[in-house]
This record gives sequence, structure tokens and C-alpha cells, in this order.
Amino acid sequence: MDDEKEKKLTEIRKKLKELLVENLSLEDISPEEIKDDEVLFGEGLGLDSLDAVEIVVLLQRGFGVQIKNVKQGKEVFYSIDTLARFVYQNTQG
Amino acid sequence: MYIAGIGLVFARGRGIDSLGEALCDGWKPPSEQGCACSGKKLNLAYRVEQEVLTGSAVLRKIRRADRFSKMAVLAACDACGDSGISFTGRESSLGIIVATTFGPHATTFRFLDDVLDYNDADVSPTIFSHSVHNAAASYIASVLDCRGPTLTITQFAFPFQHGLLLARAWLDEGRCDHVLVGTVDECGTAMEYICGSKLRIAEDGKIRPFDFSSSPSAVPGEGSVFFLLTRKESHKKYCRISEVSLGGESIAQDRPNICIFGADGMAGDESTYRHAAPPYTTLAGYAPLFGSMMTGDGFHCAAAALMLEKQMRYANPVQDNPHDMNLCTMTEEAHMEDIHCIRIDCLHEKAVVRLKR
Amino acid sequence: MSMKVVITGIGGISAAGANLAETLEAFRNGRRNAGPVSLFPTTLPYPVFEARAGSIPPRWERKGMRTLSLALSALEEALADAGLRVEEDLSPLRVGICLGTTVASQLNDIEFYRSYRDRGSAPMDAVDRYLKGNLAQAISSTLKVRGPALTVVNACSSGTDAIGAALSWLRSGICDVAIAGGADELNRVPLCGFGALGIVSETLCRPFDRDRGGLNLGEGAGILILETESVARRRGVAPALFMAGYGSACDAYHLTAPRPDGTGLEAALARALAEAGAAPSDVSFINAHGTATQDNDRIEGRVLAGVFGPDVKFLSTKGFTGHTLGAAGGLEAVFTAAALREGWIPACAGFVHPDEEIGVRPVTEITSVRGPLAVSTSLAFGGNNAALVIARAEDGGTWRSRSCTLRE
Repeated sequence: MDDEKEKKLTEIRKKLKELLVENLSLEDISPEEIKDDEVLFGEGLGLDSLDAVEIVVLLQRGFGVQIKNVKQGKEVFYSIDTLARFVYQNTQG
Repeated sequence: MYIAGIGLVFARGRGIDSLGEALCDGWKPPSEQGCACSGKKLNLAYRVEQEVLTGSAVLRKIRRADRFSKMAVLAACDACGDSGISFTGRESSLGIIVATTFGPHATTFRFLDDVLDYNDADVSPTIFSHSVHNAAASYIASVLDCRGPTLTITQFAFPFQHGLLLARAWLDEGRCDHVLVGTVDECGTAMEYICGSKLRIAEDGKIRPFDFSSSPSAVPGEGSVFFLLTRKESHKKYCRISEVSLGGESIAQDRPNICIFGADGMAGDESTYRHAAPPYTTLAGYAPLFGSMMTGDGFHCAAAALMLEKQMRYANPVQDNPHDMNLCTMTEEAHMEDIHCIRIDCLHEKAVVRLKR
Repeated sequence: MSMKVVITGIGGISAAGANLAETLEAFRNGRRNAGPVSLFPTTLPYPVFEARAGSIPPRWERKGMRTLSLALSALEEALADAGLRVEEDLSPLRVGICLGTTVASQLNDIEFYRSYRDRGSAPMDAVDRYLKGNLAQAISSTLKVRGPALTVVNACSSGTDAIGAALSWLRSGICDVAIAGGADELNRVPLCGFGALGIVSETLCRPFDRDRGGLNLGEGAGILILETESVARRRGVAPALFMAGYGSACDAYHLTAPRPDGTGLEAALARALAEAGAAPSDVSFINAHGTATQDNDRIEGRVLAGVFGPDVKFLSTKGFTGHTLGAAGGLEAVFTAAALREGWIPACAGFVHPDEEIGVRPVTEITSVRGPLAVSTSLAFGGNNAALVIARAEDGGTWRSRSCTLRE
């Protein structure tokens, strides 16, 4: 079961990285170079508030997952890892 | 007001020197896009090359910017750089005026792609933000840390000339010490389709400014040109803009050294250009170098500024002359004091920008 | 700044009313005319402020050009208020038209683009309407006047900046009379766009409120007739209201987020007040931008508190009109002028609970205003901040600057 979950999470992380690089015009980095625990905002990838709302839409389009409010967004958007786990939790069952 | 610096991006490159080279080298054919198969015509246009819009240190700061904003930022920054004036950051004495005809339409259509492909709640906020016309001015202000007044003009009739008028008013009022005034317009597949439907496109790729035809031919162009304007004569690098007149208000009748016509096939009937300049005036029209744009007058003023600075005149790139006008046919040194840039719009209204040494 | 610019006429149309009289009535009664979108199909659930059906007179309805129709409606009211007849009075003068808009400047007809995208071709009707519909040019053609015509597209501060540009024109002698303000129709494209940015509320907006959840979009037009004092007096008008000052300053910070420290708005206010020869203590109220987004109201509210003090009287009329984008600056200048003329401002509709982070609260009931000066502020997407100072003539029919601190 855990293997299954880990495999799904890996897939989600990969897709997330590709979506981010393509849709946020991240020019100097390829999806493979983004670390799983890379902090998305501030230091790390250096994303900003406009990227945050873009990610909300990418989650809706790419995974059918909604962010309910800004506060929830802040917790979920910490790193690729936290994003992937959120997507996984909201797409099971 | 004085021109302290000029920056530009167009099909022939980036920087005021690239315009000088194009003026010397003459006409080159536009680029072609699309597929010539199954009877469809290729879209001819003077497009900015993609490599001009990549790699610059300036652009690294604005990763999400679209082509429209990138062209404007490069041209505006180059105008500041060209002036040699040191802006120390938190610059509140610099204003910005951006004039455009159609705005970032390619991005607007990309946003409509989202509206059509996804439901109304799943559209891209980033693309939307860039479809707002003042995005270019916002990026210019951010990159230069310019905290003065900023304004974007969108219209078909004399957008650049209105920008110059407002810049002069701002300088006269002391609202700022310098103003970056510029133009930006872009090509795009949907816009080229519209141009192909509404305009006559020159099949051989040549704009003919002196046909004075009632249905002239155009070749769409894109690009951006910015002028750093100042009240201080000590900052003057090129020339001064001595007058901007709109709508047929009379301008001094003395014959200038050259009249540059904005005739480019974009605004319909060009027959009234025939009598737009005093008789026997030497005429020029450089739209064949950069393409048809309602904001093309910016490039013409840049050409005029070069002529006044270098004391030269440039041969017309296309010298078809069915009405036997007095065209500038040679690129050579010349005594230049006074140049008029004239544009006539589809309502036969005339705008004149007068540049003097 | 010795030459004064007079406001001789004002007109406005929005969800709050087809004209100023209806609008003031709505303000008095606290009536908020909002509802679901009816002008176009959308799946979005947001309440919007549409101009009431039938509020645009049929003579001004231009098919497929709603922004222009709204503008013509407000223009007629403003010209009548100014006592100006188009042929007899305007034709001999240089008349500048300076109007702000956002929607009408964009070629964003969805059906046109759908056809082009799917079939490679599309009928040109939408394009023709777009080419004829540039706001300032269309107004200039309708009135058949000669003078500059400028369409300002500065996002949310377009209307305010258009008025500022007209002020500059008049002071520098470019024209004798200026028609200035802004207009925008409710449109699916910005509704989708602002919704995607996460700043649109699913309930009626609550400007400056602790629990505010975003803006509501609206539509309308607000137009002012501005004249140099000499031109106004020459035709027998005793000045009652002046456009006394304008300031504009860019945040230079971010494409969509405002600069957190509010220094851009402070600079715009400082310039506008300096032009008017006024100190903050001379200002009797502020018509704030007040969109009811988290960021705008926090930053703007704190700046107003800092500049004008803890007892500052201010409100946002967006609780009555929604955020009308390019029209907002025009409408709010009209409301500010009207409030000075009438001597009262309405309650800030939608506000209930103060926000401690802001530290000041807007007015919560109809409030009389006695002083001669008022301010209207606008903060735009892209970071432009703009402020206007409007003055009411005091006894003697003039309004004096205390001192002019600007260099010529």
C-alpha cells in the first residue's frame, strides 16, 4: 500500500514540477532540478503572490483540486512535497 | 523639450544604432509565416526576432512578461542607458508614458483561449494580468525603480503625438524632470488575420509611401521605441522637439530640410499626403524599414533625431515616385536644422511633430 | 499653478442610478443595486453591480458598444449641468476629450475569436465596432469638436489619471474646455480574470471591513466638464467647484500587488495637496478607492490614517457601485464634487466591523461635510496611485490657494 502511495506521490511531484516550470515561466531551471523539499515562496524558488494564484488554477485544471481559502493555501504551498501530499489527499476516493 | 536618449526594438534589431544601420542599408524583405500550401497566403510582417527578446540581464527581472512588455522594457531601458543620465533609484522625477494602438492583443487572445478551453473559474490569472494594457508601463517602472507618474494611452489616432503633448505638459508643470515617452505595438496571428482582411497587404513586401493611393498597401510591423525627454538643454543628445500639433492646427510655414511622411498603408486613403508638405520639400518615408504601425511615427521621430545629431540624411528605402515628388535619394552628409514628421489618419486629420537641432 | 480650473458640469451613471439625482437618492437610502450577472452568460457566482435595465436612454444605445453608450449618457447629463450646448457653445472652442477605460480598449470579443480559432476566419463586425469604439475618439466624433482626444488605459486609476491629464492640458493651454472622466461596461473577460486572481467576493463587498472578502465588479461612467476659469467666466458661469490638484506616483513594485508601505499613495497625495495649496487638515473628507480587497483597504486605510489623522472622514462608494474599473476614477470624482456641492457624504455601504490592522474606520452614517476641500484616491493594478483634490468655491465665488509650494 505504501509503495502504491509513494509511486503516486512521485508521479504527482513530477507533474507539479513540470506545470510550475511551464506555466510560471521559470527560465533558469528544469523540472528535474527542483528539489522535493524546495521552499516555493520567498527564499528557494522565489515565487510570489501572482504565482500563488496561478498555482491555485493549475491545481484546479491539472488535478481537479480546489484551494478553499488563502489560509489553506499558505499551508499547502510550502514546498513541492506539501503540495503533492495535498493533491494526493484530495484525489483519493 | 530635448531628446536625451533613444532606445528601440524592431525587426532589424535593438538599439538606436540598429536603426542607423537599417537607414544606411536600405530596404529588406519582411519575414513570412504560415504555410503556403493549399492556396493560403503567407503572412508578411516585420517581426522582432525572438533572440532579441532573450538573454538580456534586464529581462531576467521580468520572467513572466509577454513579448509586448519585453519590447517596451528593453526600449525604455535602452533610452535611459543611451542618455547617460544617472538615475539613482526611487526615481520620482521620472515619468513614463506608453502609447499603443492595439495593446498586448496576443496576450488578450491567449486569455480568450483559456476562457474558451476551460470554464470561467479556471482561467490563468497571470495571462489576464498581462492583458491589461498598462502592464508594460508597470514593468518599466519596476525595472527602473521609477516612482513618478505613469500613464498608458491606447487609441488609433495619433497615440504617440498625444504622448508627446502630455509629456511636454508634465515637464512644463514640473510634475517630473524627465519623461520616458514611447510606443509599443506587436504582431500576432489573429491581428495579422485582421490586417489581411481589412488592409491591402503589399504582395512584394514593399510599403510605398509616395503612391498617395486611396487604397495603399501595408506590411504590418511591430516594435517599440522610447525617448527620454528632458527640460534641461544640458542633457540634450539628439535634438529638441519644438512643436507638436494635432488636427491641422497651423505650424510655421518655413520649409523644413526634410518632411518625413508616416504613410504606411495602415490608415486608409493617403491621397492627402500629396499636399501635406510645402512644395518642393525633400521628402522621406522610412516605414518600409520597420513596417506599418499606427505608432510608426515614433520610429520616424527617431530617424529624424539621428539625422539632426549626425547631420546626415538617409535615402528613401523605397523610391517609387509616380507623382514626381522631391525624394531624398542618397544617404549623405547634409546640413540639417528642422525636420517635420507628418502623419495623416483615416479622417484626414494631420499631426505634425517638429524636431530642431 | 496660478490658473484655476473650474468644474462646470458633472454626470454619472452606474448601478446606483441612471443619473446623479437617482444616485444621491440611493446613497441616502443605502440602496445597493447588486445581483447575479445578467448581461452575459457565465458560470461564475459573483454578485455584480449592473446599470439598471433601461437606464441608458435609447438615443445613446450603441449596439455592441455598451461602454460608449454609458459614456454618452453621463456626458449628456454633464453638458446639461454645465449649460453647454454642443453646436452653439462647444464648436467655437478647443475641446479636449480625455477618458479612461479598460474593457473598451481591448479587442476581446469572444465570439469573434472563437470563430477565428475554430475556422481560421471570422466576420469582421466585432472588429469594426472596436475600430469605431475607441472611447475618446468616438466622443470627439459624436460632438464634432476639435481638440486633443486621449484614451487613458491605466487599469483602476484610468478615470482619475484621465482627469489629471485634462488638468495638465488646460493649464498648459492645449484646450479651453475638457471633457474628462471614465467609462467601463461589465464584461465577462475581466470578471473571469479578477476572479482567477482570487480577489472577487462571492457576497456583497465590505470596504475597509475586518471581514472583507474581495471586490464586486460594476459598470458605469462618470464625466466632468472642466474649463479654465477665464473661459467659464467669459460665458457667465460663476465658479462653484474647482479641480484644484492632481498627483500620480507609481509603486514600481509588482504587476498585481500594491507596495506594502503605501509610499506611492503618500507621494500622489502629497503632490495633489501641494498643487491645491492645501494641508491635510484642510480636507473635509476622502472618497477612497476602497475596493474591499485585503491588500488595498489595509494599505490605503493606513495611509489615510497616517496622512489625515485618526479622525479622518472617508468612505468608499464602491459599496454602491461595485468596482467600475476604468469608470471608477470618473464616477468617484463626480461623487466627490457632488458631495461638496450637497454638503454630505453617504455611509460607507458594506462596512460593519472596523479592522484593527487598518486602525481607522469609514463613516457609518450620512455625514455632513462643511469644509471646501475633498480628495478622491485611486490605486491601480500595475502600481499606479492617483489622487485628486476638488475644492468648493467659498464666499466671494473664488477659492484661494494658501501657498503654492511647487516650482514652475
